[in-house]
Amino acid sequence: MGDEEAQLRKFQKELSAGTVSLVLLAVLAGADEPLYGYLIAKRLEGLDGVLSGKQSALYPVLRNLEGAGLLESFVEPSMTGPPRRYYRITGAGREVLRDWSAAWRATRDSVDSVLSGIPQ
Amino acid sequence: MSALVNEHATPGPQAGPSPDKSGLPATIPEYLAELRAALADADPAMIQDALYDAEDYLRSEMAAQPGKSEAVVIAEVAGSYGAPDEVADIYRQAEVTVNRALRTPAPPKRTSWVGRFFGIAADPHTYGALFYMLLSLGTGIVYFTWTVVGLSLSLGLLILIVGVPLLLLFLASTRLLSLVEGRIVETLLGVRMPRRPLYSQRDKPWLKRIGEMFTDGRTWTTMLYFLLMLPLGTAYFSIAVTLLATGVGLSAAVLGFFFPDRFNIMFVDWNVTTDAPWMLPLWTAAGIVLLFATLHLARAIGRLHGWLAKHLLVRDPVV
Repeated sequence: MGDEEAQLRKFQKELSAGTVSLVLLAVLAGADEPLYGYLIAKRLEGLDGVLSGKQSALYPVLRNLEGAGLLESFVEPSMTGPPRRYYRITGAGREVLRDWSAAWRATRDSVDSVLSGIPQ
Repeated sequence: MSALVNEHATPGPQAGPSPDKSGLPATIPEYLAELRAALADADPAMIQDALYDAEDYLRSEMAAQPGKSEAVVIAEVAGSYGAPDEVADIYRQAEVTVNRALRTPAPPKRTSWVGRFFGIAADPHTYGALFYMLLSLGTGIVYFTWTVVGLSLSLGLLILIVGVPLLLLFLASTRLLSLVEGRIVETLLGVRMPRRPLYSQRDKPWLKRIGEMFTDGRTWTTMLYFLLMLPLGTAYFSIAVTLLATGVGLSAAVLGFFFPDRFNIMFVDWNVTTDAPWMLPLWTAAGIVLLFATLHLARAIGRLHGWLAKHLLVRDPVV
């Protein structure tokens, strides 16, 4: 049982590595205004599967997406706490998102079609 | 959700998404202290970022649920954001995986001696380091001037009351400059530096926070770094310009074949172009080797300087 669970953990971790970046890009591409970490985390809160992991995992991914030029950010003071960093998707980010979502859809469909032969 | 649970984080059965956690911290500073302890052996720059993110999330959550005590909010957050030790694990892993997934792949390792010598030209950090050497003359002058003027002006005016706010303003400005320099160092030299300022501890009284600016060793090592940047920057700039100019000049020696009267390589009054033209290709070869050796030197200086910056600029977070 413990072994099975460890396998599941490992699988979830590997699965989440790319999907979290994809979902973050998609959330920011769909947002009308720049969002900061907490708001982004809240938008993902209802999600299921590997995306339901701890929200602290989102911040490093945001930072790295920014480092790769897919997001841009600016800082604004806030009333409730220290200055907040707002993120916005860049042109390069939108292009990457298009490629990634095409890759995702193709992968999802293929995986589904292979899995459909397996009894639940 | 009940707001009755406000003592030390043993959430009641109804108190939120993670009732199985016990011994959670009761206040935000305690949460951050635990997170810091859990990350104790990690990269200091990463610790600073992790603390910043956690505090951002916790304070936003507090603001979103007015009227709830910190202990209740932390108990809830432990389910969504993670308890300190979980967050620590996530940051350790994320730093590795995400970096590996998103960074452009490193150039292939070359094994031959020649390959390693000339392969340096394919490493982007080489040019970053070279550019940093050229840039550091400018930034070094700015940092040095800012530090010397700010320090002497505010110390000198301390006898009048205006010196006090001036000194505080100056100390705050060095923190900002240190963050800026950290970004430059990370971009150009590839050394991990903090990407967020250290959170000021909002719960502590003003006077205590001001006092900590003086007792925090990094305030003073940052100033030392800024003062050092003038001689270092001057040296880096001179080394880079001299070696690059010599290298380019020597590489062009073969042009002497084609423009014998206009393009001369002279050593005092010995004119290589007219007296020993057979040596021109050798000088060109020497120039090219010198250029690549300069790239190696730039890379080495970049590593050394990154190490220096990390030790003098990255603050031990005081939480």
